[in-house]
Amino acid sequence: MSVVKGRVEGIAKVTGAGKYAAEHRLDNMCHAVFAGSTVTAGTIESIYLENARQVAGVIEIVTHLNKLTVPGLADDAKIKESRFGLPLFHTDKIYFRNQPIAMVIAETLEDATYAASLIEATYKETPAKVDFAKEHPRVPLQSAGKERGTLSAWENAPFIVDEEYNIPAEIHNPMEMHATIAHWLAADKLLLYDKNQGVVNVQRTYARLYNIPQENIEVNSEFVGGGFGSGLRVWCNSLGAIMAAQQVKRPVKLVLTRPQMFSLTGYRPAAWQKVKIGANKEGKFTGILHQGKNASSVYEEFRDGITGITRMVYNFDNLKTEQSIVPLNLGTPTWMRGPGEVTGAFALECAVDEMSYQLKMDPVELRLKNIALDKDPENGRPYSTNFLDEGIRKGADMINWKERQQQPGALTEGDWKIGYGMAVGMWGAGRGTASAGIEMGKDGIITIKTAMTDIGTGTGTAMQNMTHTFTGMPVSNIKVALGHSTLPAAGSQGGSTGLSSISGAVAAVCKALKEKLAAYAGLKDADITLSDKGITGNGKFISYAELWQNNNLTAIQVEASSSPGEERKQYAFCVSTAHFVKVRVNIKTGKVKLERIVCVADGGTIVNEKPAANQISGGIVGGIGMALMEEQLADTVQGNLIGNDLAGYHFAVNADAPVIEVAFINKPDPHVNPSGAKGLGEVGIIGFAPAVANAIYNATGKRLRDLPITPDKILS
Amino acid sequence: MKPFTFSKSDKISKALSGKNDTVHFLAGGTNMVDLMKKNLASPDALIDVTSVLSDKIERQDNGIRIGAVVRNSTLGKHELILSKFPLIAKSVLAGASPQIRNMASTAGNLLQRTRCPYFYDTSTPCNKRKPGTGCSAWNGNQRMSAIVGYNEQCVAVHPSDLCVALVALDATVNVMDKKLKPVRIPFDMFHRLPGNTPELDNNLPANAIITSIDIPDNSFHRHYAYVKLRDRDSYAFALVSVAAALQIEDGRIKAARLASGGVAHKPWRWHQAEQFLVGKEATTANFSAAADLVSKEVAPLAGNAFKKVMLRGAVETALQNCLTA
Amino acid sequence: MDGRNLYSRRFFLKTAGFFSALAAIPSSVKSLYYDARRLIIPAKQKSKLNLIINKTSHKLEVDTRTTLLDLLREDLHLTGTKKGCDHGQCGACTVHINGERQLSCLTLAVTLPGKEVTTIEGLANGEELHPMQAAFIECDGFQCGYCTPGQIMSAIGCVNEGHTGSVAEIKEFMSGNLCRCGAYNGIVESIQKVAHETVHI
Repeated sequence: MSVVKGRVEGIAKVTGAGKYAAEHRLDNMCHAVFAGSTVTAGTIESIYLENARQVAGVIEIVTHLNKLTVPGLADDAKIKESRFGLPLFHTDKIYFRNQPIAMVIAETLEDATYAASLIEATYKETPAKVDFAKEHPRVPLQSAGKERGTLSAWENAPFIVDEEYNIPAEIHNPMEMHATIAHWLAADKLLLYDKNQGVVNVQRTYARLYNIPQENIEVNSEFVGGGFGSGLRVWCNSLGAIMAAQQVKRPVKLVLTRPQMFSLTGYRPAAWQKVKIGANKEGKFTGILHQGKNASSVYEEFRDGITGITRMVYNFDNLKTEQSIVPLNLGTPTWMRGPGEVTGAFALECAVDEMSYQLKMDPVELRLKNIALDKDPENGRPYSTNFLDEGIRKGADMINWKERQQQPGALTEGDWKIGYGMAVGMWGAGRGTASAGIEMGKDGIITIKTAMTDIGTGTGTAMQNMTHTFTGMPVSNIKVALGHSTLPAAGSQGGSTGLSSISGAVAAVCKALKEKLAAYAGLKDADITLSDKGITGNGKFISYAELWQNNNLTAIQVEASSSPGEERKQYAFCVSTAHFVKVRVNIKTGKVKLERIVCVADGGTIVNEKPAANQISGGIVGGIGMALMEEQLADTVQGNLIGNDLAGYHFAVNADAPVIEVAFINKPDPHVNPSGAKGLGEVGIIGFAPAVANAIYNATGKRLRDLPITPDKILS
Repeated sequence: MKPFTFSKSDKISKALSGKNDTVHFLAGGTNMVDLMKKNLASPDALIDVTSVLSDKIERQDNGIRIGAVVRNSTLGKHELILSKFPLIAKSVLAGASPQIRNMASTAGNLLQRTRCPYFYDTSTPCNKRKPGTGCSAWNGNQRMSAIVGYNEQCVAVHPSDLCVALVALDATVNVMDKKLKPVRIPFDMFHRLPGNTPELDNNLPANAIITSIDIPDNSFHRHYAYVKLRDRDSYAFALVSVAAALQIEDGRIKAARLASGGVAHKPWRWHQAEQFLVGKEATTANFSAAADLVSKEVAPLAGNAFKKVMLRGAVETALQNCLTA
Repeated sequence: MDGRNLYSRRFFLKTAGFFSALAAIPSSVKSLYYDARRLIIPAKQKSKLNLIINKTSHKLEVDTRTTLLDLLREDLHLTGTKKGCDHGQCGACTVHINGERQLSCLTLAVTLPGKEVTTIEGLANGEELHPMQAAFIECDGFQCGYCTPGQIMSAIGCVNEGHTGSVAEIKEFMSGNLCRCGAYNGIVESIQKVAHETVHI
């Protein structure tokens, strides 16, 4: 292949050679398709399969009446204990519309799809709750985290903002639909090709459900077509494929349809929030009350960490946070890109902006005055590094913030109003345990390996770059293997922990490799450097050929793992973004056009600039959707989701985004991990929607507190 | 999808003789295949008619004739369209995506079915899909619903952009019926209002085929605009759209055309506002007054009151844009 | 319950001895068994086709319902063409038919004889990447890579159609390809790069 600089898996992706879950070829494979409930709540009374059975090519139809019982879901107690969520085909209860009630297994996708469409059922219907706005006032709030100071200390603050904010449900909609190929190699041996964000999590889940050893389950997820959190849980699509494969004793492929993706693989739940902030005349915050409620399902409790961000970004001496969850007849929601923080930041950062207008103070200045830079207000630990102030200043400079007028509606061009807005995002820079391995041959080619997936974040490329940095080996000699359960174990790729976790493991395994090579070379304790030809240590060069021959080697294998350590007790860690937006709002048509977007991100050392900037601008594209168009509603009478496909659910197309300007602080965090780099997957979207809402206010004088800000709201 | 037999016709007479209620014609397939996948159309047989119909845009004595299988993308770039009927190009390019426009036929664009979410969701009642079951949108989500010409049987809208320009330019639909007799249908009469038969989208005679569209010559090639408002900047159906075309001589409007999509079961002409504009000066004040007339004609549903305001703004913007086009 | 239904039920119970076991089941279930249409399920129809895909001729027998997308992915194992929605709403399945970008998910395979199909697998010339493929790598025009083949096929169409006059024009004419990772910056940059370097690709 021609030499092109870019991601390590670039050629596989641009040629179509990379195989995603549903694209693997197994002999004798057949297809499974779910048929969904046509009611929203109740009990299945009967299922009529006769028509579907007549379809040529149908091998079997699975329902709750004839399924092979999954041991871990054998009874209600086990279902609860399994924490699997939806007990697929292990209940006659209907919790939400389009819940799978049957699964057709057939020779071809066409046969299975057609047969599934012929399945009819009767139900004993019960009243369904799908209207979050109607239900949430009935659910009381509960304390969420330790209260700081008191509410009464600031109730007479001269400046108070006290407002409510709402966001609707948003759907992850990775471009690849969740898909699984399941193949039982023996009664207790399972092979899976699966779309997920953590192969070890999939292994563990099915080892528990089927009572088989974890190592008997092989999970291949080398290429994953996006996740955004939807692959952090194991959903019923893979269970369906596994059950089907057991039932027909053949490999089975199950790919969800796009509408099924709206119900079966989670979503960001609708949320209501109330934020009350007090400030003194100097613009110092005196206290905050942040309340939030999020929707969940009737069969599981999912709590989004809505108020978390309020506890970390600013110095609030007095703080109270409360939350609760609101059960609805919908599928269970889950973490979605910047979970909790994205939701919380919308309310918090809009409220801070509202405060700036009350104070007649530049929102940049107000933030600089109040952000907690030195230590995490939650635990008092000093931030290892926190350059949010620098990001804010740099971003303001980049967008030419001084053009902004404090008076809303002051900039006009014909029917267009022009405004500037800003907001910040922050995310705790977590790190987990991860392992990595290196295999090296005498040709000097090394392969760096981990079970961790790369869902598009650039993990593999970062591993390659770090391996180069730690060993000196040229990048062209470093291969990457990941996303497979037979590789060294690592946690799931989520919460922006992937890079941070794996960088420790890569550092450790590179060290192990160097030590081993040094020992073979008789250079014990020397710090060696690798090249494509051999190693250099103590001023001595030894070729790989020589090394291999002298030691009678075939291949060198090393493995190491790393975990966060004492530094977690000494420091707090964060990544941050400062978002700046220039909008144009048409006052006659309600159209909002994002003219410029500037983001300055602090993610410690930037290992690989292009993929890192891509992460940030990608998060922002998600934020454009959140701010202006993304909304999944359910029909309040019938409970069906309205327009649950990619024509009905809008997220940003290319034309919705300007060319997004991203800059990095790019200073190492010396304590977080050996690379000094921190994950950027979440923080790009956090704080972006409020920056847009704030810019629209600056343009029009209209404070819009319910997302998405669609043209009708501008015109209202 | 239900199994079906497939044939490709080489003669229009053959295609028509093979046509009946359970046999459907297939051209670009961008709507038909989708409907079949959703089990909203379940023909026993498909006849591919792409070889029996014209894919040419031809000059005629008093206008142009667009063959039934001229693709949308061709309409967007054809020299004759761009020079004489640019509103057609402008509207068609506002719809769908480049890939879909490379496939979709002109006739198919007329025959595409509504995108009402309840029509697509077979678990809900819908009079258009299953007559007599009721209209889910009537008490449901009305964001994409009509604001004029609807009744409680159906509040769906016609999704086309091209048809808005065609109705504005007084096009005629040329049809061949089952007995090979040519029929001409004025564009405004082609699509229907729901009435008591919301399952019918148009007045195409049973088992007939569209052969071409005629557009009479006009002088709207200088001052025209197509404004489409939607929930994102591209690749989305209209909340409201407006086609506007003016013939201006010496600062006065000699002829005017105004039509909208996203507002009714059919592409909708605003005759009153057109008449108002004729003879007036092309000024902001007159455009605003015309927009008022348009908004007086509509009666939004409880769930889409915003469309009235939006439509008013879109009309004003479209008329204004006519001056800068 | 109206009279007709009562009658139906009685009739049903009397005449269908087999169903008497259902007596204990609530009436709605029985009415389903009574009302459910026993449909006549039509047999699968197959067509013999000769298709040219990536300059290779394929002799095939396909289900008339099979779309080009499923034919590529399931039967020919050309899985570079992606399924993102299956309904013409995302552009992931974009291929070239007779040199033009079209959606394989809305194209029935039976309509293809006489036409030439090019997929992402047919772009590179042996080891040599197509300039657009190279540009996507260089400009980082993707993240997860799932929409990428469709983006690349569409991007080539965008350049060939001459819609690269401005960033806004590229963006409008690439809006039929959704990218949930949001790699639009790199996609636009890739197209600008290729458009700048090439007249026709």
